[in-house]
Amino acid sequence: MNLLVFTKRVPATQEEELRIVDEGRGVDLSKVPFKVNDWDNYAIEEAVRIVEKTGGTVTAISIGNAESDEVLRRAIAMGAKDGFLIETDQVLHDPGARASLILNFLKKEGITYDAIFTGVQSEDDQFASLGGILAARLGIPYASMVIAIDAFETDHVTARRELEGGLQERIKVMLPCVLSIQSGINEPRYVSIMGIRKASKVERKIFKGNDYEDNVIPGIEVVKWVYPDKKGGATMLDGELDGICKGLLGILKEKGVYQ
Amino acid sequence: MSYTLVVAEVRRGVFEERNLDSIGIAALMQKSIVLLMPDGAYEMNGNLVDTIIRTTVQEEVFLNPLNFITILEKTMNSRGQPDLIVFTHSSSGTELASYTAGHFNMPLITDVSGFDKEKNVFYKSYYSDKIFGEFRQTGSGPCIVTVRSGSFKEHIIEKGPAQTTALEDIALAEGRTFIEYVEEETGAIDITKAEFLLSVGRGIGNKDEIADYQELAGLLKATLSGSRPVIDKMWLPKAQQVGTSGKTVKPKVYLAMGISGAFQHIAGMKDSDCIIAVNKDPEAPIFQYAHYGVIGDANKLRDKLKDIAKG
Repeated sequence: MNLLVFTKRVPATQEEELRIVDEGRGVDLSKVPFKVNDWDNYAIEEAVRIVEKTGGTVTAISIGNAESDEVLRRAIAMGAKDGFLIETDQVLHDPGARASLILNFLKKEGITYDAIFTGVQSEDDQFASLGGILAARLGIPYASMVIAIDAFETDHVTARRELEGGLQERIKVMLPCVLSIQSGINEPRYVSIMGIRKASKVERKIFKGNDYEDNVIPGIEVVKWVYPDKKGGATMLDGELDGICKGLLGILKEKGVYQ
Repeated sequence: MSYTLVVAEVRRGVFEERNLDSIGIAALMQKSIVLLMPDGAYEMNGNLVDTIIRTTVQEEVFLNPLNFITILEKTMNSRGQPDLIVFTHSSSGTELASYTAGHFNMPLITDVSGFDKEKNVFYKSYYSDKIFGEFRQTGSGPCIVTVRSGSFKEHIIEKGPAQTTALEDIALAEGRTFIEYVEEETGAIDITKAEFLLSVGRGIGNKDEIADYQELAGLLKATLSGSRPVIDKMWLPKAQQVGTSGKTVKPKVYLAMGISGAFQHIAGMKDSDCIIAVNKDPEAPIFQYAHYGVIGDANKLRDKLKDIAKG
């Protein structure tokens, strides 16, 4: 099987204070650390596990600036054979425009595949739609929220999709197809610094993003960035740790769940 | 005639509650509302939309994106293009919306939680709800949105009985087929029955910390649960997951430690009587939903609570 996996370098904003700048036209990410998108990590692991059984190769592809090379090195350290960077400094917020860019790239470079994997969503924009748009544009089947791949045969995949409330659906998807991989599908292998260093010796191919810009026209735009509305908010307990904890236990007593 | 098309989500014979948010945003558009839905014997309020199109296929066929594009094409052939197509922001809603957007080359905005009619912009979350973008359609054709559960329900209007029509002769795709529903295994612990949940998230750091939280839960007579990242990393069993893909809980007290509060998590616990959140990040969205909050390191608080509880 030849599998393509899209992987993205994203800002790790979990514990960062984000600032809107330029009168709402931008968000300052200059001090935020970057990392591999969590969902893509699971997608790469799943692809590598499949080719370890069926043979074939995994190719990791990233769209982004030169620094996105770091997620490709990581993918190679996990078992991908190649890493392709579609280099662009432009941030395409519209997943439709990103899908068009990928479509042009795959066609122009004559890249073949049995299946394409993406993460369910990227942590920064949470669009959760690149895989579906790409599959439809390629005219091939699609499944998202894939939480288990039960069988990967020569012409089809049997997979389970995660629905809500602990329900799943088992489906059969013909190849080639696009699958968006859900977090928790596997336990991604540990990647050591040594492993990444070794992976750096594998040459990554760089493609210039502007070679694939035909018909890459965004269908949506961001007018302005805003902070969320503050609701009532919580009553904050502050002061010394000891006092906070006693206050907290007091609330538990008052609610009748702790004596 | 211009109209707003709402795509209904029905699972296991239940018209999902979150469809009311899709109908709610459609009501804000002040156009005729057309509801497209699968066949089946399920209950719903037929007075909230102008027209119901009932397809002759069952839910698992209807919610397959390869079939859905055929269903939508037939709908548009008979009625013309809608101005807006609304899906739920759920597993199947986003799957259908993205495939439809790609197939028909329509603009798409997902996870919409607000709409400003004057500015004609949709609000979409970025960076785990720390920032929102005001999004506008620039491309042509109907715009597709997926809406966040709980965001628009209050805007629904009683309109009187809807007209119902049928949509028949849908050719089924072979590229993807439904096999069966699978229920996840139930665990030994039923977190939905607990009066007091101690829930842990990514912020606790690593798996080794779990044992100490288990001990604290024992001391406080609480039941331990977790958010998605904790389950994904296999720190706790899946049966103990709180959130849309796990369990929906309503305990007397929900004590969240190291949970930032993705909306999928919030949806699973927001109806708890009392929510207490402990998180290092003062900007964590969970503080917007909590009754009490502590900004600090969850593990330090845990250790102190343990000391005091041990007396």
